[in-house]
Amino acid sequence: MTAAALPVERHGDSLWRRALRKFRRDRVGMLALLVVGSYAVIAAGVMLGWWATGWAEISGPKWAPVSAEHWLGTNIIGQDIFSRAIYSTRTAFEVGLVVAIGATLVGAVLGALAGFYSATWVDEIVIWLMGVLDSVPFILLVAAIAYSLQDSPWSMHIAMIVTFWIGTARLVRGEVIKLKGLEFVESAHAIGLNRLSIIFRHILPNTFHILLVQATISFVAAIKSEVILSFLGLGVKDGMSWGLMISESTFEVLAGYFNNFIAASVLMFGLVMAFNMFSDALQDALDPRTVKSP
Amino acid sequence: MEVLLYSLRKVIAGIPLVLGVTLISFLLIVYFGPDKTYELVGKNPTAEQIAEVRSQLGYDQPFVTRYVRYLQEIVTLDFGNSESTDEKVSSILARTIPVSLLLAMPGFILGNGLGVALALVAAYFRGGFIDKLIMGSAAVGMSVSFLIAIIAFQILLSSSDGLNLFPVRGWDTSTPLAYIQHVTVPTLATVFVALGYNTRFYRAVIVEEMTRDHVRTARAFGVPPARIFYRNILKNSMVPIVTRVVFSIPLIIISGSLLLESYFGIPGIGKVTYDAIVTGDQPVLKAVVALTAILFVVAQLLTDICYRLVDPRVSLR
Amino acid sequence: MTQPLLEVANLTVEFATDAGVIRAVDDVSFTVTAGETLALVGESGCGKTVTGLALMGLVPSPPGRVVSGSVRLQGKELTRLDEQALRDIRGSRMAMIFQEPMTALNPVFRIGSQMTDVIRRHQGLTRRQARQAAVEMLAKVGIPVPEKRIDEYPHQLSGGMRQRVMIAMALSCGPQLLIADEPTTALDVTTQAQVLELMTELQREFGMAMILITHDLGVVAQTCSQAIVMYSGRMVEQAPVQELFARARHPYTAGLLASIPRIRERQLQQLPVIEGMVPDPLHLPEGCRFAERCAKAKDYCLLAQPELKPIGKTASQVACYAPN
Ligand SMILES: Nc1ncnc2c1ncn2[C@@H]1O[C@H](COP(=O)(O)OP(=O)(O)OP(=O)(O)O)[C@@H](O)[C@H]1O
Ligand SMILES: [Mg+2]
Repeated sequence: MTAAALPVERHGDSLWRRALRKFRRDRVGMLALLVVGSYAVIAAGVMLGWWATGWAEISGPKWAPVSAEHWLGTNIIGQDIFSRAIYSTRTAFEVGLVVAIGATLVGAVLGALAGFYSATWVDEIVIWLMGVLDSVPFILLVAAIAYSLQDSPWSMHIAMIVTFWIGTARLVRGEVIKLKGLEFVESAHAIGLNRLSIIFRHILPNTFHILLVQATISFVAAIKSEVILSFLGLGVKDGMSWGLMISESTFEVLAGYFNNFIAASVLMFGLVMAFNMFSDALQDALDPRTVKSP
Repeated sequence: MEVLLYSLRKVIAGIPLVLGVTLISFLLIVYFGPDKTYELVGKNPTAEQIAEVRSQLGYDQPFVTRYVRYLQEIVTLDFGNSESTDEKVSSILARTIPVSLLLAMPGFILGNGLGVALALVAAYFRGGFIDKLIMGSAAVGMSVSFLIAIIAFQILLSSSDGLNLFPVRGWDTSTPLAYIQHVTVPTLATVFVALGYNTRFYRAVIVEEMTRDHVRTARAFGVPPARIFYRNILKNSMVPIVTRVVFSIPLIIISGSLLLESYFGIPGIGKVTYDAIVTGDQPVLKAVVALTAILFVVAQLLTDICYRLVDPRVSLR
Repeated sequence: MTQPLLEVANLTVEFATDAGVIRAVDDVSFTVTAGETLALVGESGCGKTVTGLALMGLVPSPPGRVVSGSVRLQGKELTRLDEQALRDIRGSRMAMIFQEPMTALNPVFRIGSQMTDVIRRHQGLTRRQARQAAVEMLAKVGIPVPEKRIDEYPHQLSGGMRQRVMIAMALSCGPQLLIADEPTTALDVTTQAQVLELMTELQREFGMAMILITHDLGVVAQTCSQAIVMYSGRMVEQAPVQELFARARHPYTAGLLASIPRIRERQLQQLPVIEGMVPDPLHLPEGCRFAERCAKAKDYCLLAQPELKPIGKTASQVACYAPN
């Protein structure tokens, strides 16, 4: 028995095709995707060592103005702001992707288990865990995790995953409760598939539209949180990020040097804004209520 | 009486939550947290000295004993003294929480009030130009980081490169004028970043209520828009609005003010928490975590009672 | 000849959706005389509710829009009235009750508050008088202990009770026209019969005209004098009910009638099923919209839409090239 033979899969298929059609017509969404794509190319270039390799070098005098050599000037110790801002794109994608994928996976698995075993102890525990984690202030959680991991560079990522999976899990849980009453799940039971295979091979794939949108939301939240955590000294430990640049710049702006602040802020704003728009367009395109067609 | 019984039941139902939060904080801050032994023993400690300090700290006790002791501290609200300033933790809280409230309240009220107002305008003109303008601005506002907003407002309003109207940092509530001077820039930054999210959320709620069947019924019986708006739309939107407002209170008291307070050097609970994080001040951290958890349970209770006031379908049984 | 109560001419309503413009009501014309009962029947999605809303000036906008047509109530053109003037008519001279009694009342106010609000608005009574009127009206629609019930919230009433409250509210200002949109569909079978009986009784008592939107042809036969059959946004047949049942002219109507079981154990929740599918409102055919499902369709049926035309000297009208 293959998944393709089940009726809801076919329905899912046409949902995706319709969503794709609708997304293509959404000009704002397409533009946002283009912008996000450009950032991704920049980040990939950094990763492959094509550009911004000299971000850590002291390559000029302190606070050099904008010039052909230093496109956006230099910072307080003479590092090139442009290459630092470009390099930080890679950090943003790294944080965003790790957190988005991690939080979505955890949210999907726990949400699906809670939904499938709704009103049993499994569900109770997941709900309790969500309530508990919601009640711990985010920054405290990061700090506490940083402690217990002995200042590991991943403590920020882990703390974000630990917090961000909750939203995804709530939605997946609700959807799975809806799906498990449907015919195709009952027929899967009837032909004796085991439970885990029903949950993860047949039910979870039908929540993929939720997961995709939630992943984009987590991505944005991660990039925004990174800035604040790095400023507080709880974020990026080695390397460079927009958050670190902005923290550096808090001294510079009081002395009247804005290049560092503006470079990091504008680049970050562009990515977050584009990603938000992309996320909205995606949500619109995938919303079965707006794809209403008889 | 009914409300009292209900509250009691809710508080009891909140116990697993408080236990969970304290367990997690205990695990992360105390059990797996940094080992304090070497800060307390003198130079060149002997093995006995180390063992003594460890038993003072309770490190030699089994897990359950240590956790129960931690719980005892919470129940008796006795967290001991701060490790860095040696001030009593309860007096630190009493001193700093009012500061945080004064700092956060204006932004909180304006952010939600303006959010609801803009959401109403957008919902009323839904699909039209004004709606698109408001929601477009909200999308822009949502994409600006809190830190960036703080710095930008500081440059614009408090620096010699901008209008230079307000003090750069610090806190002073000795006179109303001093309070206004110090609270304006943090408030503007807060409102700027919160408004986008709030407007979006409230618009969704209001549009949902606007398209309900009973709104159509009221229209079909000739009820004028202002009355429909008040009786059918606003009153029915109160449940989600109240939920959002009440549940954000514990967060603004603690996390929301943390960044503002450490940036502007304001002596509130957020700053204290931040300092405790940096110095590893366990008694303070324990107190803050426990306090938030309790605030959350209280918030849950409050929203449930508000539901009952707004929506007759909710029973307090 | 006296002036009819309601004259609808060439009413057309469109919805702008993401996928394109849907014409939910297309060129609908009919009249209702005072005191008569007109049935509006047709498959789900054929535009019955939207027609009713358009008469009341309540088409949700956006996305909906009344593109053209005229609606005259006692000679007064409603489509050009401003909101203020329409509000004075709604509830007092024409009222509409809806399909879903469960959600049609505001859950956070007592039913008394909702009823008196309407009564005071249209009749200028004091609070106490309005309450008295509401209690009397509730008693009239068969609500036991109305002076108690009036202080309950909608969720404390059963579906049938709520629909009775809706009817009481609709009748409380003595409208000349009541549009009842499937008032009994959501109710259980016994309640359905009671509510319908109540409605026809009160209609006679108040001398009010009614447009009854329904799926149930049995109800049409019992309670209505005229019937309009709609298909895919258009009227396909209009006839006095006796003639319609005696001789359905349009193949679609004939199909509907033929598929009613002779002995019905229960009232139908939906129209009987005819083979085939309603055309996609986004891609309507050039010709007759029923042609695809019609056993008698000829080539010329596919070329242009048939107009609604009177049949001989009868009072019936049909939109078919080869009516029965
Ligand atoms: N708010 C809306 N937005 C978009 N399209 C709508 C809207 N309301 C109705 N329509 C469209 O108008 C058409 C007619 O709908 P209507 O509700 O009048 O059907 P109906 O005959 O009352 O059906 P039912 O028997 O199910 O109540 C449908 O095809 C529907 O898609
Ligand atoms: Mg309908």
